[in-house]
Amino acid sequence: MNKQIIIRQTQVGQWFGYAGGAGLMAALVGFIAQSGLTEFVGIALTIGLIGLFFWAALAPADFRAFVSGRQMRYSTGAVFGTLLLLGVVALTYVILQRAVITLDMTEGQRFSLSTETRAVLNRVVYPMRITGFYSPRLLSQREIDDQFFRLYEVETDGLITREYIDPEQQPALAQRYSVTFDGEIFLSYVNADGSTDFSTTTRVPISESQERDMTGAIARQLISGTLTVYFERSHGERDPLDSTQEGMSGINGGIQESGLITQPFDLQQVASVGGDLPTDASAFILARPLTDFSDSEIAVIDRYLKRGGALFIMSDVLFNADAFLRQDGKFNQFLWNNYGLRALDAAIVDPVSSQDTPLDIVSAAVYTDSAIAARLDSGDTPTLFRLARAVEISSNPPANTPNGRIVLSSPQSYGETNLKQLGETNTYAFDPEDIQGPLTSVAWAYNQKTGAKILLVGDSDFATNGQVLTGGNSILFTDGVAWLTGYGDQINYAPQAYRTGLPLMFVTGQTLDAIAFVTVILMPGLVLLTGFIVWTRRIRA
Amino acid sequence: MIDVQNLSKTYGTFAAVDRLSFKAEAGEVVGLLGPNGAGKTTTMRMLTGFMPPSAGSARIAGYDILNDSLEVRRRVGYLPERVPVYPDMTVQGYIQFWANLRGVRDARRQTERVLESVHLLERRKTLIRNLSKGMRQRLGLAQALVHDPPVVILDEPTIGIDPQQVIEVRQSVRALGEKHTVLFSTHILSEAEQVCDRVIIINHGRILAQGTPATLRQQLQPGDHLYVQISGASSAAGQRLLAEIEGVQQVQPQGIGFHVRAAVRANLRGDIAQRVVQAGYQLEELRPVAMTLEDIFLDLLGREEGA
Amino acid sequence: MNGTWVVFRREVGQYFASPIAYLIAAALLLVTGLYFNADLTFSVGTKPAEPALIPLLLSFAMVFCAPLLTMRLLAEERREGTLELLLTAPVSDGAIVLGKFLSAWFYYTILLALTFIYQIILVSITQPDMGHTMAAYIGIWLYGGATLAVGILFSAITENQIVAAFLSIALLFILWMGELIGQIITNLELAEVVRQLTLIGHFTSSFAVGLIRAEDIAYYAGITALMLFIAIRVVESNRWR
Repeated sequence: MNKQIIIRQTQVGQWFGYAGGAGLMAALVGFIAQSGLTEFVGIALTIGLIGLFFWAALAPADFRAFVSGRQMRYSTGAVFGTLLLLGVVALTYVILQRAVITLDMTEGQRFSLSTETRAVLNRVVYPMRITGFYSPRLLSQREIDDQFFRLYEVETDGLITREYIDPEQQPALAQRYSVTFDGEIFLSYVNADGSTDFSTTTRVPISESQERDMTGAIARQLISGTLTVYFERSHGERDPLDSTQEGMSGINGGIQESGLITQPFDLQQVASVGGDLPTDASAFILARPLTDFSDSEIAVIDRYLKRGGALFIMSDVLFNADAFLRQDGKFNQFLWNNYGLRALDAAIVDPVSSQDTPLDIVSAAVYTDSAIAARLDSGDTPTLFRLARAVEISSNPPANTPNGRIVLSSPQSYGETNLKQLGETNTYAFDPEDIQGPLTSVAWAYNQKTGAKILLVGDSDFATNGQVLTGGNSILFTDGVAWLTGYGDQINYAPQAYRTGLPLMFVTGQTLDAIAFVTVILMPGLVLLTGFIVWTRRIRA
Repeated sequence: MIDVQNLSKTYGTFAAVDRLSFKAEAGEVVGLLGPNGAGKTTTMRMLTGFMPPSAGSARIAGYDILNDSLEVRRRVGYLPERVPVYPDMTVQGYIQFWANLRGVRDARRQTERVLESVHLLERRKTLIRNLSKGMRQRLGLAQALVHDPPVVILDEPTIGIDPQQVIEVRQSVRALGEKHTVLFSTHILSEAEQVCDRVIIINHGRILAQGTPATLRQQLQPGDHLYVQISGASSAAGQRLLAEIEGVQQVQPQGIGFHVRAAVRANLRGDIAQRVVQAGYQLEELRPVAMTLEDIFLDLLGREEGA
Repeated sequence: MNGTWVVFRREVGQYFASPIAYLIAAALLLVTGLYFNADLTFSVGTKPAEPALIPLLLSFAMVFCAPLLTMRLLAEERREGTLELLLTAPVSDGAIVLGKFLSAWFYYTILLALTFIYQIILVSITQPDMGHTMAAYIGIWLYGGATLAVGILFSAITENQIVAAFLSIALLFILWMGELIGQIITNLELAEVVRQLTLIGHFTSSFAVGLIRAEDIAYYAGITALMLFIAIRVVESNRWR
């Protein structure tokens, strides 16, 4: 390798070339090591490009020879050429990776945000953070999810950010979030200093519909703290803090997890001083009071309803004389007169649509035309009421106050009106005084003028910890609360992505056999045959 | 057409080709003659651009083999020592492939022409794997000629084929000289003598001698070679007698006579006749021996080894 | 360009003239066919058809198929001595390597097209997510190109076909392992970077889920270009070594 003849300019050019190559290499190494376009990478890249430029300018022939690999005498030329190409490839890759150019080919537009989601994201004004816990084993899943979550970040111009934590490396943090499984996602508001506001952290459910899960979580986060639900506590109601089978701690927790605030309320005490329900009361839940309400108490409720309040009444079959919402009681009368809705002193007996005994009523029919019952499909998610009270809606309701039934018993059922006998001996039989089925056990009313809403359920066990997870009970409760508080209006949206899910396949066994024959025998066979023909023709040639 | 200047190829300290220089004019058939390992194949590979020289240069048809490799390759037809074929192609497909690769216009017609010339036209649909060794050799030749190159380089084209085919190939090569410059390597002297206009003898990568077969013979015949047959003397006595003659360097029994090598001087034959007769023997035969190239070659090699 | 085309045509002819190519095609169809039927039987009535089924299978199959398809391309030429003729023909080394690569890719494309029969069957019995499938096919097509380029490189390096195949299977397997890298490397960031370097890392989480990303195309094109470039330099090294 005799290089003495080479003129100085070329030599200088070559030095620039080496510097350029080294710069590009450093940039690449830096990019990998620091996983990002850091300052160091930028500087190295600039040096690399300048070096290459001067190389090309000062020693064009040399440069050309290197690039095209024509300078074969020097194996370094090939190596350098390879490194140069590697640098160019890496650079292109990094640039494209930063640019995030994607094309969503899925039919359901899985990696695009629906207009509904965009509408929800438009309402985001404070920074939120999506926190994903993925162990290294879920790298692939993480990347897939990240591509989706990234859309949220882009759409909100960075208001929503993403962070990923390895639960195995940071177990303390995982515990802080109470991570229960690998790949779990959380959504929280971010404090001004950039730290996570753990008081707002909620778990993002994971189902088939990723967009609904995430957008729903964001929507819940948006309205969290703006809705308060009050539980009546002064008439022996079921305890929302009681975690036994009879208690209601489950639904209380569920409401809170949905971003709503729950508060106790002492109706008796407030009524005695002529007070009112707080102005922030989005709903007032009467979880089976044992005793009926006084005039002053009814007045409190009346005032609340008139300013657009919402009442969730759970009323059981009770056997005491002063039972809550007894048929001829004042409160029942109030409901009937003002909202066309009342409870009957009758226990539903259903020999057809029931579980263990004819008193364990399974919903026989559901009117799914209301927002409450939209998800209550009697086939898949029937409600189960253990000892249900019949309720009634007026066919001639007060003006501007439409009402409706939700859950019905079977036509073979009847309403046992002899509650005394039922309570004392637990016996029942159909007699002429009883009410012929089908009977309503859940009904609603809505005053279009005031906005007052009432949901009346002839049962309270369904929302207890022991029963709430049975069938559609939890749906009835949560969707009922959602309707009452208006929560549903804010978070309910139909993401277009899953409006048209892919249909399931239904193929007969015969077709399957035919397909198997074509794909496993015919196709490979034909190819083999072609090969055989080609082979024999060759052999003869 | 071929102009080789100080061409060298070294592997480490071993010089496979050592400062080789020669020329071949248009239309000349030049033979590279040498034993195995003399550097013939390496030289040819350098000329065809398959491997680069370590030093020196060569021009073919005016193009430098390194800087204008592509132009050189366009003008050279090359048949490597072991005819490289694709066994699963047909004869025609194979030739046409090379024709296309070398940018021959009207490749189909050229293919047929060249196959005709090597008598393979009727086998054009045959798979190469089914061809005999000789046919493959001719196929290789066809491949080297299909683009009608000004320079044809053939590396031992007659090796490993039967005698009848050897003659055919030699005739083909001879005939090529009419239109092409042919560089042709062999380790068989008689072949070079028959085929070549000019022979270059190389060993250990160096040229030992070059010239037409006739001049080589002339130049290299180092002295007189005579055949002497004597009657009336025992073999040993005859040999002793001849060896004593002034100028005689070597006496070897040959048949019923002797092969005498002697320095060139005046009246050698007269002296021989005189001494034989003086010793009382009869001189039956005394004639000069025309040395074959083979003899010269072996002679040269022998001297080199000794040196 | 002409050289590339001539070499390409010869190699394609070679593929379709040899019974081995048909055997490979038949074997591939058999395996994918069984796989398809298994998934079909499993999916009926329970879930929609998996759109990226065949491409996902191929992403693993190519680890072994690509070396088989490419091992002979240059190694055989070198062994049989035909490389000497090729290199002394007036074509660039790039044209030779490129022509051979394209022929392998072409053959692979035909194989891919054959597996499209499953998609046709799906269309006739249900409503598959064609966009998703197309993305997966485009992905596996590029992925296949990159694996074939790796195969070519090793075929250029050695004259022993078996060694070439073995080495490229080893490398492709390592590149394929990206999916499992998280189980080996416990450091999340490092695992992430390593995954980005692997072939599979640019397939399973983008093309295979119906998403085409420019960076993945750049990755496969880059790997292919790099491998071919090195292969060309290796072939070329004959001229200056």
